[in-house]
Amino acid sequence: MTKPLISVENLSVEYITDTSPVKAVRDVTFEIFHGEIFGLVGESGSGKSTVVQAMMRILPPPAYISGGKVFINNEDIMEASKSDIIGFRWKKISIVMQSALNALNPVLSVREQIHDVLDTHKGLNGKEADDRAKELLSLVDINYDRLESYPHQLSGGMKQRIVIAIALAIMPPIIIMDEPTTALDVIVEREIIAKIIELRKELGITILFITHDLNLLMEFADRLAIMKNGEIVELDKVKDIQKGGKHSYTKKLIGSIPSASGKRQKGLLSRPDSLNLSKSPILEVHNLEKVFQSPGIFNKNKIIAVNNVSFKIFKGEIVALVGESGSGKSTIAKLITRMIRPSAGSIYLDGKNKKVTESRSVPLEYRKTVQMVFQDPFGSLNSIHTVYHHLARPLLRHGLKEQEKILSHIIHLLEKVGLNPGEKFADKFPHEMSGGERQRVAIARALSLKPQIIVADEPTSMLDVSIRMDVLEIFAKMRKENNLTVLFITHDLASARYLADRIIVLKNGSIIEENTSEDLIQNPREKYTKQLVHAASPGWLNSLSKNS
Amino acid sequence: MNKTTYQNSILSRWFIGIMSNQKAFTGSCVILIFALIAIFLPFFIQSPTDFLGTPLSPPSLEYIFGTNGQGQDVFAQTICGARQTLLVGFGAGILVVIIGALIGGIAGFYGGRTDDILSLLINIFLVMPGLPLMVILASYLPPTPGTLLGVLVFTGWAWNARVIRSQMMTFRNRDFVSAAIISGESNIRIIIVEIMPRMLSLLASSFIGASIYAIGAQVGLEFLGLGDVSTVTWGTNLYWASNDLALLTESWWTFIPTGLSIAMVSFALTLINFGIDEVSNPRLISERLWRNEIPEDMLNQGITPVFNPHD
Repeated sequence: MTKPLISVENLSVEYITDTSPVKAVRDVTFEIFHGEIFGLVGESGSGKSTVVQAMMRILPPPAYISGGKVFINNEDIMEASKSDIIGFRWKKISIVMQSALNALNPVLSVREQIHDVLDTHKGLNGKEADDRAKELLSLVDINYDRLESYPHQLSGGMKQRIVIAIALAIMPPIIIMDEPTTALDVIVEREIIAKIIELRKELGITILFITHDLNLLMEFADRLAIMKNGEIVELDKVKDIQKGGKHSYTKKLIGSIPSASGKRQKGLLSRPDSLNLSKSPILEVHNLEKVFQSPGIFNKNKIIAVNNVSFKIFKGEIVALVGESGSGKSTIAKLITRMIRPSAGSIYLDGKNKKVTESRSVPLEYRKTVQMVFQDPFGSLNSIHTVYHHLARPLLRHGLKEQEKILSHIIHLLEKVGLNPGEKFADKFPHEMSGGERQRVAIARALSLKPQIIVADEPTSMLDVSIRMDVLEIFAKMRKENNLTVLFITHDLASARYLADRIIVLKNGSIIEENTSEDLIQNPREKYTKQLVHAASPGWLNSLSKNS
Repeated sequence: MNKTTYQNSILSRWFIGIMSNQKAFTGSCVILIFALIAIFLPFFIQSPTDFLGTPLSPPSLEYIFGTNGQGQDVFAQTICGARQTLLVGFGAGILVVIIGALIGGIAGFYGGRTDDILSLLINIFLVMPGLPLMVILASYLPPTPGTLLGVLVFTGWAWNARVIRSQMMTFRNRDFVSAAIISGESNIRIIIVEIMPRMLSLLASSFIGASIYAIGAQVGLEFLGLGDVSTVTWGTNLYWASNDLALLTESWWTFIPTGLSIAMVSFALTLINFGIDEVSNPRLISERLWRNEIPEDMLNQGITPVFNPHD
């Protein structure tokens, strides 16, 4: 076998803290060969980004490298001086950073940003640099008249392509990509990945791809390493890992990936046959419309966030609202929970034909019936209050329980959402819990009022992959036990299919398609739905390249 | 477990955090000493307005800070002056924070039309030139301590309201506030119980900033003769010292003790502010920490340091 292009031996990275140093990366060893796509997978806090940042020596103190060697092209990175490193970055190795959408300078045009790199590293400027910039843009399929654009004039996908173009500017043999597509919508993400694969074939570059999404990597990586708590737990060829993996953590990760294709597994999550839906809807949304007016007297800009949306939800049903960012799905959640008032249309609750949009202030009774679970478990709990406070306040506010009975009720609730023992968790502050535990507390809070409807706005998208399914199962369990109705809002068609009975697809504020989950996935009617289904199924890469 | 224990724990945790900071602790001790002196010592000493003997006699065993141009004891004047100066200074600080939190908080939380109107009010006060307005108001209104307090608050609240409004606007859109709204909490309760404790550091440092400003402005106004010159405060002490031509007669003891006290109080308050800053922004402390641990030649290179402390 040839000599590896990158070799990392026993790399350890630590952070100085006021107590003992925190070991972020422990004895990580791997090699990457020429022309390979090497994947590094791990959940948040696994140290995957720290590894590459240490490799590039761009990690600022208090982090330091406490041991190990890194060779790139037979050069010892640990021995290199600052000027060595600067000459080496971008020419031999370039990096596409995590928040690539913010990586572009908002006050410089695309041309200036590409010129910057060319000038610094190759001394190119003027006409020569322009020609090169055009070449680069055509590589990533962007029309060169976009050179004059500023970042805010470009879509997320275009910005991402430009960041990749800049990384390619000097044609480095190696590119590191740190979560390059995480902030993008699924369809765009797939297109970008396809472009990256195509470029690799064309230019023969080596790619180190970092992501939390094992599913994604399995599509196109050659080999991958799975990290957990700063260590590599498994390193193997993708083909072998697809078979199930050796380490228990790998198995857990693979098991937690729902798929949008194939047959649906019957499990806890599917609707019990015994459950009959009522004839009249519990929630009916009629011609709902929300227009956001930009602030200021002279500003005539109007944004139509939700446009003429109507749907019904029946008692005991789980309905998923699927859409990409900007589709208006979160606005609908806010309208239904009456955080904001609709511009037009009405929301009927419980078939009573009581228009909830009529009165300005929201009756407590409505709050009790409709509860919400938020996307970000780090933001939805107040860091200065204990779990007890978060769960007790709604009960006290609605006068549901007497003071003495509250504690036992709360402990019961916590245990119901899987936080055992309840007494221990009741005293905790949010920062003492993991993301998954926090989200469970947030669900318990929403459940504490015994609501009939829960609106769950992307309840799992901020959580690590390995615990997402467990959190979704809580909703399924509650539906089964308490006949709870759930409006599940997500961008992920696969998890929508996993949990929901019916799926509503949104685009640009309007409903595109609506059907039972299975029918929608198996026989999508609209082109957009087809794209979505396609992007969420394994094997999308092959079919995508066949089409092109 | 009941409600009061955990609410106390927020305050006490915050307080212990601040006090374990060296700067804040030193500052608080100095302020505490001044406060105790201002409260209790006037009961035990010479009345500061009594005529005692030769005017402008230098410090001696009998009068340790000497006497001023009216033959009054400078030591007694310095001690008694602390009382009203600190009372008006901290009083104005508290009022400025309360008004700022109220107006800024309401504007930031409710937004929309309410915010438009309150913001307009805040902006009007911000663009009014503070010092001239203060001088004009103080010279036309009857010179009582109450007037001084009112003038200081009137000209000083707007900046605080502005800062608190912006902070409130960022909290307003956080999910935990939305969650509280959806669980049916009243707006007032959300502002007071959910949001205000999160702003504790901001409120505390606003209070201290406002107090420093109020003490300075108050002394300045009184020095110009715009306060009640018959009362004894640090400002009037300086006014009389300058009136009696202390600099020409080289009687330094008539203004140094008062001047030093003002400087020490302001310095101590600033120390507390630094302390709050460090506690609520831990990066400031951690930077000092890692600067000590990383070998000299690795620092300031702009690249990740490589060394092994375990060897």
